[in-house]
Amino acid sequence: MRLWLPLSIVASWAFLAIFLPLFSLTPDAIDLTNILSPPSLEHWLGHDDLGRPVADRLISGAQTSFFVSLCVVALGVSLGGILGVSSAYLSGWVDAVFVRMVDIMLAFPGLLLAIALAGALGPGIGNVILALGIVGWVGYARLARGQVLALKHADHVLAAQAIGAPPWRIILRHLLPLIMAPLIVEASFGIAGAIIAEAGLSFLGLGVQPPAASWGSMIRDGTRYMLVAPHLVIFPGLTLMAVVLAANMLGDWLRDRLDVKEQSSRRKS
Amino acid sequence: MVIGLFSLVGCSESLPDYTLRFGLANAPTNLDPRYATDATSARLNRLLYSRLVDFGEGTIPIPALATWRELSPTHYQFDLQEPRPLFHNGAQLSAYDVKATYDSILNPDTASPHRGILQIIARIDTPTENTVDFFLKQPDALFPGYLVIGILPANLIANGHPFHDHPMGSGPFQFLERPDDTRLIIERRADGQRVEFVRIPDPTVRTLKLLANEIHLVQNDLPPELVTYLSAHEGITLQQRQGANFAYLGFNQLDPVVGQELVRKAIAHAIDREHIIQFVLKGRARVAQALFPPEHWAGPASLPGYTYDPAEAKRLLKEAGFDHDHRPTITYKTSTDPFRLRLATIIQYQLDQVGIDVLIQSHDWGTFYGDIKSGRFQMYSLAWVGVKSPDIFRYAFHSDATPPVGANRGHYADALADRLMTQAEQTLNTQEQQTLYRTLQARLLDTLPYVPLWFEDHYALVSTTFTGYQLSADGNFDGLNQVRWLGSPSAPPKHITRLYP
Repeated sequence: MRLWLPLSIVASWAFLAIFLPLFSLTPDAIDLTNILSPPSLEHWLGHDDLGRPVADRLISGAQTSFFVSLCVVALGVSLGGILGVSSAYLSGWVDAVFVRMVDIMLAFPGLLLAIALAGALGPGIGNVILALGIVGWVGYARLARGQVLALKHADHVLAAQAIGAPPWRIILRHLLPLIMAPLIVEASFGIAGAIIAEAGLSFLGLGVQPPAASWGSMIRDGTRYMLVAPHLVIFPGLTLMAVVLAANMLGDWLRDRLDVKEQSSRRKS
Repeated sequence: MVIGLFSLVGCSESLPDYTLRFGLANAPTNLDPRYATDATSARLNRLLYSRLVDFGEGTIPIPALATWRELSPTHYQFDLQEPRPLFHNGAQLSAYDVKATYDSILNPDTASPHRGILQIIARIDTPTENTVDFFLKQPDALFPGYLVIGILPANLIANGHPFHDHPMGSGPFQFLERPDDTRLIIERRADGQRVEFVRIPDPTVRTLKLLANEIHLVQNDLPPELVTYLSAHEGITLQQRQGANFAYLGFNQLDPVVGQELVRKAIAHAIDREHIIQFVLKGRARVAQALFPPEHWAGPASLPGYTYDPAEAKRLLKEAGFDHDHRPTITYKTSTDPFRLRLATIIQYQLDQVGIDVLIQSHDWGTFYGDIKSGRFQMYSLAWVGVKSPDIFRYAFHSDATPPVGANRGHYADALADRLMTQAEQTLNTQEQQTLYRTLQARLLDTLPYVPLWFEDHYALVSTTFTGYQLSADGNFDGLNQVRWLGSPSAPPKHITRLYP
């Protein structure tokens, strides 16, 4: 029952992001006469420093965070998955080089590396996805490698090898289906992380460029008017918190559902 | 133990702090007037150094350290006024210091950014320790207005004294210390009143510190909403004056889109400057039609200008060959300063309404200014700050003044404008010069190398702990000469042990 709230938040977020073009929103329409106007019955979240409706920009920002988080996680899972699985399966020097590479990547603080990359690549949403993807694959790669190392000597894999199945077939048919569950759980947490990271980069001016909206850039712009128009920080801040919390709660729930050991221990008890 | 506690309480009781703390958005970059080019350094150097010439009402050059006579069109004699001021090390300022300062600037090895305009000087003589003769290579009626650089002691110039770190001038304030990059402490020579400049880049933090009385004075560089917010608080007074800093949109004339006069005129008609001033700048600016405001002696009294007219803008764009299916795209460069970015977003929106797609590129100040100086732009917004002498026209608009020689960054070339500049420079009659400069500004408005935006007002927010601060017309910090702590109207602060003559 504790699931309905996070599920409805994430579903609304995804719905608004996907079906944004269906709404007649004007997130970029500047109305100088409404600059910093507080929430009212007509405009229930007020207007920002350029007289743009905060509600419309929040929904537009939802699309940015949804698009970025999905792309970053997809990039991370595919890149990390392929590298991790190949490394573990091939073993030997390939695995040794891979492990060193992962260690080097992990030596850098993730968000700091993303900031450096986004700074070097230049501001823009495409570069943010690339920077976060480059930083984010390591976790998935380690997880995939660990899972494959545990499974590659399993009976069904040895049997496939014995009957002469090629490596790609063994990976695709006999290993990937078994490591998908932990990867999906990791990805669900990755979505929450990517939302925060995108907001962080946009807060620093490395994300979306004006006039596009992002929750991070909305918070950044709002901090300058905290004393005169606190609604500019409160609404995007609360939205960001709610979506990240909901994504994490869903991740928790998924982990509980997909963890075989936990399920069996529950059944025993 | 009780005695110990009492003695601790006794120790913690401290005297009131009389130092005035001045919150700055940017720290001064160079306290050597030969090198300083940024506004904060120039304003601070005015307090630390004295200069031969200053500017009075109508931005006309007036005597500061010296009066002058024009002995011939190429010979100006400056007589230092008595009593001559003392440098902070006790030595008296003389004509030799003036000569040494200007010789040092003219020396190519010094690499002073102010050398360009002063290269008109052929020779400097010092017949007496009170008199300086400037001989020019060619006549220039504006010459006295160029001698506004702070005078340094000749012996310290010869010794290579690090003025940028340890300024030594003869101004009303003397340098005390610079504990770190964010703080600079100076002391008024007349009574020992200390002023500490504190760099606080974030406007919200500056606002909060002013509210908490941690700083006592903030001048410009605040979002208009925060100015209104602060002025409503008890304990803070707002001073406001019309300014002359000219904000504009600049264009690359070599670009196939904005190089077209019709497109630039369309842009001029598409921007609702009155609306932006009223709602965004909260009325703290006035519409500009030319580089100089009407009160400047060379400023035009009135020019027709470009009114907000989206229909006319669309018509002009159509005439230039653009329409709904074939919209021009312009890259607009600006700094990352949040307020400049906010204005850029408004201009982007207003241009979009008439059919111009604008892509904003915001860069940190160094990158942005570097791009502008080297001509890497299509359109940009910037402001001319503290410009007083009409020699700016040759520097910014003459076809020979493209970088690195001058600041004609957009490669504007107009034969008539060039001719008007040359005529104005050659004439020695001020009235005629005024007419020529006004005609030139009308020509510039017609051909639009810049789209003029506005002159932003100056404002200062002063804590009522201090009194006597008067905001100056050009936004300099000279008001600190009169400021005093309200708690001691007559007696000097207690920490002062040394009084100056």
